[in-house]
Amino acid sequence: VKWKEAEMSFLTYLGTLFGKRRKERDLDEELHAYLDLLTEQKIKQGMNPQEARRAAQIELGGVEQVKERVRQERLGTLFENLLQDLRFGLRMLRKNPGFTAVAVLTLALGIGATTSVFSIVDRALFRSLPYYESDRLMSVGVISPDTGGEVLLGSSYLELRDHPGPFESLAPFTPANNANCDLATEHPIRLSCARIGWAFLPTLGVRPLLGRNFSREEDLPNGPKVALISYGVWKGPLGGDPNAVGRTISLDGNPVTVLGVLPSDFEFPNLAHLDVFLPQAIDEAAARRTPLSTVVRVIGRLKPNITPAQATAALQPIFTYSLQDIPAGMLKDLRPSLRPLRDLQLGNTRLAFWVLLGAVTAVFLIACANVANLLLARATNRAEEFAIRASIGAGRARLIRQALTESGLLGLLGGMTGLAFAWALLHLFLSLAPQGIPRLGQATLDTRVLLLAFAASLGSAMLFGLASTPEKPGTPVGHQQTAGSRRTFLRSLFASAQVAISIALLSGAGLLLRTLWNMEKVPLGIQTDNVMTASVLLGKYRYGTPEKQYRFFEDLEERIQQIPGVTAVSLSDSLPPSGAGKARPFSYIKVEGRARTADDDDGTAGWRSVTPGYFTVLGIHIERGRAFEERDRDANQDVVILSSSMARRLFPNEDPLGKRVRFGSVTARSALLDPTGPWLTVVGVAQDVKNSGIVEEPALEFYVPRKRTADDAWDYSTIAIRSSLNPQVLAGWIQQDIASLDPTLPFTMETMKHHVDALEERPRFYAVLLSLFAGIGLLLAAVGIYGVISYVTSRRTYEIGIRMALGAQMTEILRMVIEEGMRLALMGTIIGTIGALMLTRFLSSLLFGVTPHDPLTFCAVIALLLGAALLACYIPARRATKVDPMVALRYE
Amino acid sequence: LTPVEQTELLRGTLDMMILKSLALGEMHGLGISRRIEQFTKGTFQVKPGSLFPALHRMEEHGWIASEWGESENNRRAKYYRLTNTGRRQLDAETKRWGRISLAIARALEAS
Repeated sequence: VKWKEAEMSFLTYLGTLFGKRRKERDLDEELHAYLDLLTEQKIKQGMNPQEARRAAQIELGGVEQVKERVRQERLGTLFENLLQDLRFGLRMLRKNPGFTAVAVLTLALGIGATTSVFSIVDRALFRSLPYYESDRLMSVGVISPDTGGEVLLGSSYLELRDHPGPFESLAPFTPANNANCDLATEHPIRLSCARIGWAFLPTLGVRPLLGRNFSREEDLPNGPKVALISYGVWKGPLGGDPNAVGRTISLDGNPVTVLGVLPSDFEFPNLAHLDVFLPQAIDEAAARRTPLSTVVRVIGRLKPNITPAQATAALQPIFTYSLQDIPAGMLKDLRPSLRPLRDLQLGNTRLAFWVLLGAVTAVFLIACANVANLLLARATNRAEEFAIRASIGAGRARLIRQALTESGLLGLLGGMTGLAFAWALLHLFLSLAPQGIPRLGQATLDTRVLLLAFAASLGSAMLFGLASTPEKPGTPVGHQQTAGSRRTFLRSLFASAQVAISIALLSGAGLLLRTLWNMEKVPLGIQTDNVMTASVLLGKYRYGTPEKQYRFFEDLEERIQQIPGVTAVSLSDSLPPSGAGKARPFSYIKVEGRARTADDDDGTAGWRSVTPGYFTVLGIHIERGRAFEERDRDANQDVVILSSSMARRLFPNEDPLGKRVRFGSVTARSALLDPTGPWLTVVGVAQDVKNSGIVEEPALEFYVPRKRTADDAWDYSTIAIRSSLNPQVLAGWIQQDIASLDPTLPFTMETMKHHVDALEERPRFYAVLLSLFAGIGLLLAAVGIYGVISYVTSRRTYEIGIRMALGAQMTEILRMVIEEGMRLALMGTIIGTIGALMLTRFLSSLLFGVTPHDPLTFCAVIALLLGAALLACYIPARRATKVDPMVALRYE
Repeated sequence: LTPVEQTELLRGTLDMMILKSLALGEMHGLGISRRIEQFTKGTFQVKPGSLFPALHRMEEHGWIASEWGESENNRRAKYYRLTNTGRRQLDAETKRWGRISLAIARALEAS
């Protein structure tokens, strides 16, 4: 009984969907009119009016009961029809397994690819950042190609703070940059510590979960030692202590009071993983006195209704001011910049994501065009079936409903397969993806976009399903020929469009593949085989003095040299090809006995502090002079090795060997701009090395020997070892050596080859993805052309039969059919090439060693596509030549 | 015959008779039942409880169409008429019925 009730209420609910109210009123009127007529009749037969009314009511048997039976009957019919349509639709799909499979797979490819890519990029491109009105948050400062984000000198920040112009509020911050801190518990824990101004959290619109933000007074130099901690630190090392606020923790040996805990979903603006937040505490007097002593990054919240462009214009004075303290030689690389947080977070990834999104949309369009084409083709084949069904009594509405049910079923099947496909693709992408692509870890299968893609495919299937029903179902069999011409035009249009879109896709993929290839070919200037590297950062707490740091690396170097099978060992502050550790503006570099000219000040030179083994380990060829030797590490020795291009820059027409140059201070403790320093004698010239990334020009560079004194003690070093040992065995030895010196010390190890490969991972990832989509697009486009040509050819069987009967040769027929197909392909190719030429320039910043209009790539793409088109035309053309004239003439 | 089959048979018969009565021209509900009574010589008395559900179902199928009109003595009534589809349905039903009755008649003669 319960079930019956539920069923009835469901039916009533459905009833409301179909204009129930109007029909109800109509039914009510109809029954009362019936009653009146019946009463009248009975009066005519001689009953008095009251009796007649009563008799009529009895005969009717209760208005409400009749109504209820009508309602049930009507709904029953509705469901009956729907079920019949569904059954019939399924039967038709089963009867044409080839058609069904191709349509469903095409839809699934389109939906799956779109959904998976959208799920990847959605977080990064579209979701709002977890801050209050995040669109108004800007990163502001000057930016150089090397640094990841905008920076300001302390003096400029103070100027901006006092004249905030377009900003409602702003705050300085310094993310941890090798500035880790150790939390002293039983085992010291290495944490990442950042510095933030007191206005930092209010500017973002973030409140601490527990406790409070620090005050303006606490954000002063020599203020109280206070800190905010991340949710992770609170839950982890502090064990979720409910009394964590107010607790004193020991950071690098200093007692610090915890003021507050940040919420679990807090994100630092540059997405860095950070644990502890200390007050920025800018020393204003020092910052104004020596501008270069303080460098901060700045985040600002624009006033409402101010665009970034307006803000940039308003900030010109501050930008001019901020550049005046920067040495002339470095100005060339720097430019003022104001950009939204999202751009700061994504960098180059933003473009790559848009390219992927564009590519997958193109695939989706091709897929839709294909399904439309399939449905149109089938509609023509089924025109006779529809005509027959119409002639035995199916109304137009019913035929349309039938067509919609069928294409809807198709869309549904495609959508479900697409869902599975999207899931698989997403996992494939995530497993292929290299480290460090912003927000990739947060990618999940997105329901919104899945629904959208589903609706789009269902919509397009139904739309073309509708278009495929004959306009006049009564048209007699055999007279459908003319209806076909409109569809043929549509189909040709779709096929050309598919080709055009494929060209654009393929050229993008081709350019990225060439980029990848060029990157593989680049001579790095180093030999990466058989080299293992290990990076060690010493904590401030356990290695607080230069002596301790110096001692540690001295001991480590000695131990590693004793590993059997090791050819050479080097210690350095950085390794190519990921940027020199330190840089010096040319305006600070002086050649002995030469007057300076303005040209000399242009740009900066990178430098590295290395042990003598460095050149042997990395296989860097010494072109002239000698490599470093052990005696150069004496504190009193002042020698330098120049890179080849550096030597040419400083000594264009002279022999650099034996010349003396002053670079400023070049020890572990020297600041960016430290003009004092000894004269160094050039003892060698080393081959150029790709030292600032694969895709950059080799930077000018010089090497100084790492001294055997605590004055040149580094807290961070990279050890490189050349050895013929199996990398795993070698790694074991190194691990053992480090652990024997300090078992709690964290470190990272990788082979040099892996280190270099990692730089190509991102371009490879994008190239693989784009190639995948381009491949799918090409395949679908080929299927599209094949479909159109085989359809058109089958329509022309009669004509071909006549031609052959009149003596046409096979080759002529072949040429005729292929020509027709290639006309479509050629039209698409021309449009596609023009479009691609306009689109690929947006790719330029992702390319390397190839121009966006690379003729070779474009020729290859066009050849590939025309080849695929030719193949797609050849099969139906070949079939046409097999036509038996007699059969063909009887075809109709 | 089980009761279910009986109603099925009757339902098909009723549809056919409604179609037949409308083949003469458009008519309202009461007129339809009177016509059926007339040409079955009173064998079939169609009650409103089965007439209206049948009319609405057939309208849903697109066999008949309805519109409001005036009855003989100026009363408002809903008039039903046969559509083209309905006409073809009637043809099909008539043929089917002819085959069935012929078969039944032969079966009865044979015994």
